[in-house]
Amino acid sequence: MAFRNLRRRPLRTGILVAALSLMVAALVFALSFVTRVNSSIKLTSDRLGADLLIVPTGARGGAEDILVENRATSFYMNKSFVDRIKKIEGIDKVSAQTYLVTLTGLCCSVPSSMVVAFNQETDFIVSPWMKDKLGRKLRKGEAIVGSESAFNINLGLVEMEAKLFGSVFSMVGVLDKTGSGLDTAVFISDENIAEIVKNSDADIKPDQISVIFAKLKKDADPYMVMSEIENNIIELDVVMRKDIGKSLITTLGDISKIFYLTMVLSTILSLFLVWAIFTAIANERTREVGIMRALGAKEKHVVTLFLFEVLVLGAIGSIVGIVAGTSLTLIMAQSFSILKNLPVDLTNFTRTVIAFAGLLFGTGICVLGALSPVQRLKKLEPLLVIKQE
Amino acid sequence: MPQIIVENITKTYLVDTAPIDAVRSVSMRIEKGDFISIVGHSGSGKTTLLSMIGGITRPSSGKILFEGEDIYELASDRVSEYRCEKIGFMFQFASLLPILTVKENLLLPTVFRPRPAGREAAKAEELLHLVGLTEKINVYPAQLSGGQQRRVAIARAFMNDPALVLADEPTGDLDEETEGDMMRFFKTMNESKGVTFIMVTHNTDLAKQTKQHLRMNQGTLQTV
Ligand SMILES: Nc1ncnc2c1ncn2[C@@H]1O[C@H](COP(=O)(O)OP(=O)(O)OP(=O)(O)O)[C@@H](O)[C@H]1O
Ligand SMILES: [Mg+2]
Repeated sequence: MAFRNLRRRPLRTGILVAALSLMVAALVFALSFVTRVNSSIKLTSDRLGADLLIVPTGARGGAEDILVENRATSFYMNKSFVDRIKKIEGIDKVSAQTYLVTLTGLCCSVPSSMVVAFNQETDFIVSPWMKDKLGRKLRKGEAIVGSESAFNINLGLVEMEAKLFGSVFSMVGVLDKTGSGLDTAVFISDENIAEIVKNSDADIKPDQISVIFAKLKKDADPYMVMSEIENNIIELDVVMRKDIGKSLITTLGDISKIFYLTMVLSTILSLFLVWAIFTAIANERTREVGIMRALGAKEKHVVTLFLFEVLVLGAIGSIVGIVAGTSLTLIMAQSFSILKNLPVDLTNFTRTVIAFAGLLFGTGICVLGALSPVQRLKKLEPLLVIKQE
Repeated sequence: MPQIIVENITKTYLVDTAPIDAVRSVSMRIEKGDFISIVGHSGSGKTTLLSMIGGITRPSSGKILFEGEDIYELASDRVSEYRCEKIGFMFQFASLLPILTVKENLLLPTVFRPRPAGREAAKAEELLHLVGLTEKINVYPAQLSGGQQRRVAIARAFMNDPALVLADEPTGDLDEETEGDMMRFFKTMNESKGVTFIMVTHNTDLAKQTKQHLRMNQGTLQTV
């Protein structure tokens, strides 16, 4: 009966379904976006072998660009800071890396790539990902590439040569997929820096580094160490492992706010629409409901009938919305630079959860909006409504 | 004990703050198996009285006892059960649901039964045959004439084996012959099954065929 009722006014039913699906689509999109950004950030900080990330003052965001978003940037400080950091109470190990940005990409689809020069003696960031791939130290003129770069170069085979900053490097290994920004970089030993400085016009001096990774002693308090460093060396900024991505989140904060605002507004709008349409439906059918009541229908029969109608509407609208929202997310992932660079894609499980949330929300709105018209309808006195023609 | 006791009921409508007594201090005692006809001018309160007995509009004052129970003291669901299981209502107004076929309209009252009686479909066909509409079983109300619709509504009133049939001008738009058929049908139900009838009619010939004759006049009930 509910199905036939819905077909009575196809246009109106259609409008309601369309509005609902728009709302659910927006919700699914927003949720996917936020979840994806958050899980990317979490993954990066989980996979990073360091407790503290030390960068030149002001370069905090740059470090996150590289690690979380795979964006190529460079910033430098003097090598001497490594020794000063080492002396700070609570620090266990430190290792420095130097970031270089190639002007042209390694391959067709990549506009510019990161080259990471690391110190093989002290390193504890890159090595864990490459040990079983190579089994020895990198020599001068040798490079290892992240799993994504390998894919991009279409390497597949080891021992292919690439030219970086005027020097020839042979690729001798591929890192495991880390799921972080490291995947798109090329790694070389820092012994190569002097040569690169000599051979190319890269704006770097021989004794410069970009970032110091620090591992803390077991019982050290990261907050203490962080303030110790920042107070003593004003030229440096410290990012805690769990704070990685914070500045990205701040940047995204406004986008999220717009999302939330849109969500709230479209929810209110949908609620009104459902309410208005069901008020109209209820008015149209008061007489029929009166007849049913006079023939012995209980209040719960009336409510069930309408509830079923509402649920069918809500479910159709939500499902269309989920499909639209998911497609939108996929399309946007291609054209939104933030999304494109994120290392993590949503798992099917997360997608399902988001879809389910959309379904619940869409139908929930429908039920909520229809509540008051239906309540009113079931309380009407049968005779009064039967007589109106 | 009488099946129904109507105790001094009054129904007052407020029209622009001026109260109108549609039914004024009416009392009746109806025994099981009675066949009562009510005649009266338009606006005299016949529909209002029938509706109060049928549990679809509450009296402003007074009581209606069905088998000893005050039906307006019952909880909402119990009133629904009363309407469903005890009463067969034939409304003065068109009362078929347009989105349901004739058969579905007939089955509608059985859907609301707390306990299914079984054999519903067979019963619908049987009743439809009795009102002479067997071939219209899968048709929508809009495809029927006014008189045919009315006969479907008559058949529907018997679907739940009611103890009391409240018929509000049931033969209003029927030709004389069909009207006679319906009246014979009612009488059979009354005599063979002991169904109580209260029938409002403008047709004095029809009224004469009943066991008791009442007249409504400006909200009050008089014996003729
Ligand atoms: N909802 C209402 N509001 C106000 N007055 C009403 C309402 N319903 C009925 N009345 C008044 O109550 C009186 C009785 O109405 P009722 O429908 O019982 O008459 P009736 O005897 O069935 O008439 P008819 O033969 O035309 O069907 C009428 O005067 C009518 O104007
Ligand atoms: Mg009337």
